[in-house]
Amino acid sequence: MAGLTKYVQWVWGISVAVQAAVCVVLFLRGNFRRVPFFTAYLMSNVCQAVALYVVYYQFGYGSRTAALIAWWSQCIPQLLRVLAISEVLRLVLKPYRGIWGLGWRVLTFAFSVVFSVSLIGSWHELSWAVLVADRGFHLAFGVAVVACLLLAHYYLIPIHPVYKALLGGFCFYSCTVVLANTIGGILFLHGNANFQMIWQLVTMGAFVAVLAVWAVTLRTPLPEPTQREVSPETARTYWEMSPRINERLRLLNEQLDRFWKPEATH
Amino acid sequence: MSLTLIALGATVAVLLALLVWTLRGSERYIGSRTVSKPLEGSGRTHVSFLPQMRQALRSEDAEFLMRAGFSGLRNRVRRERRRVALLYLSALRQDFEELMRISRIIAGLSPEIGVGQELERLRLRTSFLWRYRIVWMSLWAGLTPLPQISNLSNLLSGYSVRLEEAMKELGERAAIVAEMVSSPDRRSIHPV
Repeated sequence: MAGLTKYVQWVWGISVAVQAAVCVVLFLRGNFRRVPFFTAYLMSNVCQAVALYVVYYQFGYGSRTAALIAWWSQCIPQLLRVLAISEVLRLVLKPYRGIWGLGWRVLTFAFSVVFSVSLIGSWHELSWAVLVADRGFHLAFGVAVVACLLLAHYYLIPIHPVYKALLGGFCFYSCTVVLANTIGGILFLHGNANFQMIWQLVTMGAFVAVLAVWAVTLRTPLPEPTQREVSPETARTYWEMSPRINERLRLLNEQLDRFWKPEATH
Repeated sequence: MSLTLIALGATVAVLLALLVWTLRGSERYIGSRTVSKPLEGSGRTHVSFLPQMRQALRSEDAEFLMRAGFSGLRNRVRRERRRVALLYLSALRQDFEELMRISRIIAGLSPEIGVGQELERLRLRTSFLWRYRIVWMSLWAGLTPLPQISNLSNLLSGYSVRLEEAMKELGERAAIVAEMVSSPDRRSIHPV
């Protein structure tokens, strides 16, 4: 394990221990049934940590093989992370079918656009591309989560405190990774010898903080998924009312225009 | 590279600020407020004072005071009336926001919503807020004739009545569905 500083090893160990604790809480409270993808995400993280420990022990921390295995193994937790966040957003927005229909489109669109834009010009060098791709993924992830939260806020949709903690934790961690990757890249370009340790400590430290919040909040049982009984009539009312409301708003804006146009003053 | 850091730092700061704002704001909506409350105090409270406002904003009073030679009193009356008009305009904006809230609830209750319709409403709302600011400032500066407010009130009033009708209709439908759900034979229900 030479190459990993003592501090990093400690934080890594704490991170794995807290993740295991959150998993235990999820199983003890029965919350794993409500959020199976979230549970799978945490378990995959623990499994990945154990596997990486073995790989680093076997091949050495600085070897190319270990680096390749470490980055490729990252794909599974990242995929599960996307599924976990979609799962939580679905639990929040599902009772509002129309809004959820809009929400998943917003999520997909925001993620695709930001991720694509952030990857532009990153394929000159493989190691740099990995860093930029990871940063782009987290940035896209954060933007998509905030976009969906804005949607929920706009439509006055209540969010249970536990789901708030999960969504907030994911977004906070992603924002930290974006900054850490950027600062880490700058330190690397300036030839700072400690850039890797700083990057590892910042990202893992933020993750441990998020995990601690999750461990506390997930002690509360998650709410039963609410099934709102909806009638086709509500859709009819919406389709009747919506154009009228927009027309009225348009008139209102025209009226406001006349306030300061000279011809309307008489 | 430092430019990248500044851009990404600013983006992250905005994201975190929005995250805190949305998560803190949603606390207000927890509870059963969505269906039962919107009719209370929706829209009509301030608009219903329109006849009094019309009376207060008539120009005849100012002309009379001018003819009678009370120019000092006329100026004072104009100042006071402008202050009242500004308060009324602010109240109309509150009405507007309340009505927007109801229209969002209608969208929330609907099993499907039109993306185009919602984007259009968002654009119109932004436009309204922008114009409202300009009108408010011009009124504050004494550049806008006060009676124009009555036209705005009429629009809001009509808007309010239609929305209230829709909400009442929705409430009646919700009550019918609730009754059906609580009945022993639930197989007859065909929710969407």
